[in-house]
Amino acid sequence: MKATLEVINQMQRDEVIGKYAIGGAVGATFYLEPLATLDLDIFVGLRAPRGNTLLTLAPIYDYLTSRGYQVEKEYLIIEGWPVQFLPPRDTLEEEALGQAVETEVEGVHTWVITAEHLVAIALKTGRAKDFARILYFVEGGILDASQLDQILKRHGLLEKWEQFGVKFLRGTR
Amino acid sequence: MSDWLRKVLESKRATRRRLQALSFSEKLKLLEKLRDRSRAIAQNPLRQRQHLKD
Repeated sequence: MKATLEVINQMQRDEVIGKYAIGGAVGATFYLEPLATLDLDIFVGLRAPRGNTLLTLAPIYDYLTSRGYQVEKEYLIIEGWPVQFLPPRDTLEEEALGQAVETEVEGVHTWVITAEHLVAIALKTGRAKDFARILYFVEGGILDASQLDQILKRHGLLEKWEQFGVKFLRGTR
Repeated sequence: MSDWLRKVLESKRATRRRLQALSFSEKLKLLEKLRDRSRAIAQNPLRQRQHLKD
């Protein structure tokens, strides 16, 4: 992972990407016990190529493939880790990227999405594994309730959260 | 709930707390081991044969 993050940091220094932050199961692992996963989700701010206003992942693919990294389906394999670069799809993910927390992995600087934003994104995504992850966060007691409440309100997710509570949290709170 | 089950659940919670308290770097090393184990299981020929049966 250290080598993977070093490559991603170099991409940032080379201005191929803007700010980035780790999300998904690896991001959740920052707060919880290690959660098994096969890939690394990187939320990433894209930079438009000179003379072009269209934002695409092409510069990331060009940069990495020209350095010998392989593409497998939606992933780029960087130093052994399948990495998926995810530009923010909505204001929730933009905010999550903007408020990511700085940390380090074996001396390498990196950023991780906050626990509350990870929960909000998981709630919005809504697959079974996302709901399971939310339960880990709730049971781990590491969420700032007021922070989470504000995020859910801002992004219109309160109703979804209530439905989630009725379905999965009855008797645990 | 039986005493035995209570002890099992408490032990599980304690393990989760201990793992949660590790540094991010330490957790990522464990995560890499989990990933390698998952890959090895997925590539096992016995599992792939079972997959074909299903």
